[in-house]
Amino acid sequence: MELIANLGVGFATALTPMNLFLCFIGCLVGTLIGVLPGVGPIATIAMLMPLTLKVDPTGALIMLAGIYYGAQYGGSTTAILVNMPGEVTAVVTAIDGHEMAKRGEAGIALGVAALGSFVAGTIATLIIAAIGAPLTRLALLFGPAEYFGLMVLGLGLAIVLARGSVLKAVIMVVLGLLLSTVGTDLETGQERLTLGLGELSDGVDFAVLAMGVFGIAEILRNLENPESRNVAVAKVGRLLPGMAELRKCIGPVLRATGLGAVLGILPGNGAVLGPFASYALEKKLAKDPSRFGKGAIEAVAGPESANNAGAQTSFIPLLTLGIPPNAVMALMVGAMTIHGLIPGPQVMTKHPTLFWGMVASMWIGNLLLLVINLPLIGLWVRLLKVPYRLLFTTILLFCAIGIYSINNNPYDVYFTAFFGLVGYLLIKLGLEPAPMLLGFVLGRLMEEKLRQALALSEGSFMTFVERPVSAVLLAIAAVIMVIAVLPAVSRKREQAFQE
Amino acid sequence: MPQRVLRRDFLGGLLILAVAAVAWWLAQPLPSGGNGGVGPGTLPKALAVILGGLGLILSVDALVAQGPGLGRWTLRGPLLILGGLALFGVAVRPLGLAVAGPLLIIVGAFASREVRWGETLVFGALMTLFCVGLFKFALGLPIPLAPWLMGY
Amino acid sequence: MKRAVFAVLALAASSVMAQQYPSRPVTIIVPFAAGGPTDIIARISGEYFSKALGQQFVVENVAGAGGTTGITRGAQAKPDGYTIMMGHMGTHGAAPALYANLKYDPAKDFDPLGLVAGTPILIVAKKDFPAANLREFIAKVKDPSAKIKQAHAGVGSVSFTTCTLLTSQIGAKNIVAAYRGTGPALNDLVGGQVDYMCDQIVNLVEQVKGGSIRAYAIATAERSPALPDVPTTKEAGLPEYQVSAWNALFAPKGLPKDVAQKLNETLVKALDDEATRKRLLDLGSVIPDTAGRSPQALQKLVESEVARWNPILKSARQ
Repeated sequence: MELIANLGVGFATALTPMNLFLCFIGCLVGTLIGVLPGVGPIATIAMLMPLTLKVDPTGALIMLAGIYYGAQYGGSTTAILVNMPGEVTAVVTAIDGHEMAKRGEAGIALGVAALGSFVAGTIATLIIAAIGAPLTRLALLFGPAEYFGLMVLGLGLAIVLARGSVLKAVIMVVLGLLLSTVGTDLETGQERLTLGLGELSDGVDFAVLAMGVFGIAEILRNLENPESRNVAVAKVGRLLPGMAELRKCIGPVLRATGLGAVLGILPGNGAVLGPFASYALEKKLAKDPSRFGKGAIEAVAGPESANNAGAQTSFIPLLTLGIPPNAVMALMVGAMTIHGLIPGPQVMTKHPTLFWGMVASMWIGNLLLLVINLPLIGLWVRLLKVPYRLLFTTILLFCAIGIYSINNNPYDVYFTAFFGLVGYLLIKLGLEPAPMLLGFVLGRLMEEKLRQALALSEGSFMTFVERPVSAVLLAIAAVIMVIAVLPAVSRKREQAFQE
Repeated sequence: MPQRVLRRDFLGGLLILAVAAVAWWLAQPLPSGGNGGVGPGTLPKALAVILGGLGLILSVDALVAQGPGLGRWTLRGPLLILGGLALFGVAVRPLGLAVAGPLLIIVGAFASREVRWGETLVFGALMTLFCVGLFKFALGLPIPLAPWLMGY
Repeated sequence: MKRAVFAVLALAASSVMAQQYPSRPVTIIVPFAAGGPTDIIARISGEYFSKALGQQFVVENVAGAGGTTGITRGAQAKPDGYTIMMGHMGTHGAAPALYANLKYDPAKDFDPLGLVAGTPILIVAKKDFPAANLREFIAKVKDPSAKIKQAHAGVGSVSFTTCTLLTSQIGAKNIVAAYRGTGPALNDLVGGQVDYMCDQIVNLVEQVKGGSIRAYAIATAERSPALPDVPTTKEAGLPEYQVSAWNALFAPKGLPKDVAQKLNETLVKALDDEATRKRLLDLGSVIPDTAGRSPQALQKLVESEVARWNPILKSARQ
């Protein structure tokens, strides 16, 4: 009953004409900027933050949240349309989403992403409202050792992500892990693998890596085979998903919401694993797993839902503890602080209208996103029909500006070009970039947590087994890796037998 | 023999092996001692070794089981696109978006075989104008506009 | 006679220039990512400058290498007053000790404009840390059998340098865990995985007020209005631990005198402005008094800070 009362307060706050308007503007602008290739959610929020300075704190936060969701969805749109994931969570969407776009099913992919996100967002909002606060207590049990276990599990998932050979997937994951060690060592401050370049002393930026290896490489590939692209674009089918397709997605969406919501609560960017976990799960559950990687609709619906569920629940540590779980939330904290609203454990009790207003506007934001984006799908799909010789230069320019704006450093643009070359090489050598990106993201977190856990246990590896949650996670990780590698190994044995 | 060597996966594996070797060499000066024996150098070196091993397996595998050959490689696309991006990076701070933008579009456009001079120039100018309006004025991004002309 | 004419002309020319400055937007380089304490302070003061001087003061975030990347770029910019930067205790105090190939000299390559605000450092510990006050805390931390764990936000961060100072002053050797940023470190402190850390009040104030962590002392001369129950280190028994993460505006060396004067005057006015003061104080930051706002005071501070941090950090750094 208290829940209903609280939600009532929340909706009353969120539905005032001003706040509704701000939410709408936030979602719209966030989507439009987030759609620009090269401009990910962090860049978008940073760019649009000054706009929020002109309104009152609650309104500003609602607008910021709208910008955040808009940017997330805009990023997914770019991932599907032009294979440029601006953020980690969009990488998985890009894998099958872009394949669908190449088959002329861009509209269906976008539609399924939007609808799945909405369902996930609704359920996630209810979770936040009902059990958000107590859930954080649970999440605090996660220390470095537990996180390490989770990351290793994620690595196992990365292998499942592979389209083709397991050996190549593992190679890419390890390459990604190696790439993640470039930079300054956390404990000692020493430079590692930086080739003496000051610009690498903070490591490789994810957006730079993703834009280069996915986006730029995709442009290079299209330029080499113009015929195949033209055929695909001409084949634009239905703009929105039909009933049959929607029915196929119900299961994936619901499962993904669960995964994403749980992982999003973990402070420390656990939400990153959501889409990957969903992809792996759906691939294992599918009757015909070979469709995955070639444009399976479940592979877009699931990860996108996990994405959005995680994005929502990652507000929980922020609103209940005041601790931002990732870089985007840290930006939100900064924005809140500028507005005089320093987030902390007392926000829920001292500013209930703010807290519940935000929760309510989360749901409204999801609804608005649907309302804004479904009509836009037609526009995006039509945009794809622009002659490629004009389209790709536009993408290049936006990408360059977007990448430059991350840190106002031209070296980021040089590195993007370099990784574009790397991506091109990878395509030519039949190696997939997606596992490498996951390895890269996980590598950083994994090593950080490993060394923290070892520091806190004074060098004892037993800490991973002594702590129950960590032990369980590592066990699951081992099982996943075995499941992933086993089919390939048995296939090899069969081949050997035949010869 | 040449046919076997030019197999895609064989070369791929060799490239991976090379990368692993470079990484291992770069990680040499890093100490390996630390908490539990895991220091700054431990992970890079271990990963390099694992990567090298896997690359080797890939190459050997390809030698034995004939895989696909190398596809067609072009020089024009990569050179112009990557060159265009590099030029943007070089030009954006001293010359500003007003110069770097058209430069990127014009150089990049030539990567496509369908490029037309007039259209490219006009498009370059228009797109840059749009980006300037959007990023510089609407969003207030601190990207240089034309330092040589206006000072900012 | 000719000399007099020239002098008058020069004076007129320079005063005209001063009147004309600023004639276009000014960039404030913030050497950290958007959203952090330094960025927030820069934006708050930038807003006042924009209003007072009629031109946009735009924040440009150039993060990297503990802030040194952005400051290097600022130091190499043209000293015409259109590029200034927000430096802080790390970039202009601790950096020479931490970074071997530092490309600037904090004391020589800049024209100091003035201190903006300092964020006092808090010594905080997990909620149920077995010590009732600072003295007991110090005793516990010094005890090697207690296996006390310290967290910091990475080598070069404020939490790293200030905690290194603390442990060197009290003579403690603890288990140290490095985190990537304040967020994760604070998270583990709240969760009880680590025992204590030292960080800027901005990052910690709400946590302390909410009771998820406990504060033992604040390292400034006076108690903070944001946390009036937390004793100063002087009151609590460690008077030599006085440190605050000060933030200040700098310009590259060679700034025309009148531009520098105008900027300093605007800064002084900003720090007296009601609205700006309130926002800065709400963060828990400390606004310098009149004497501390001059460029000379800032220069003295930089020199003394560089001297202070050198021995402490050189020994901690590999």
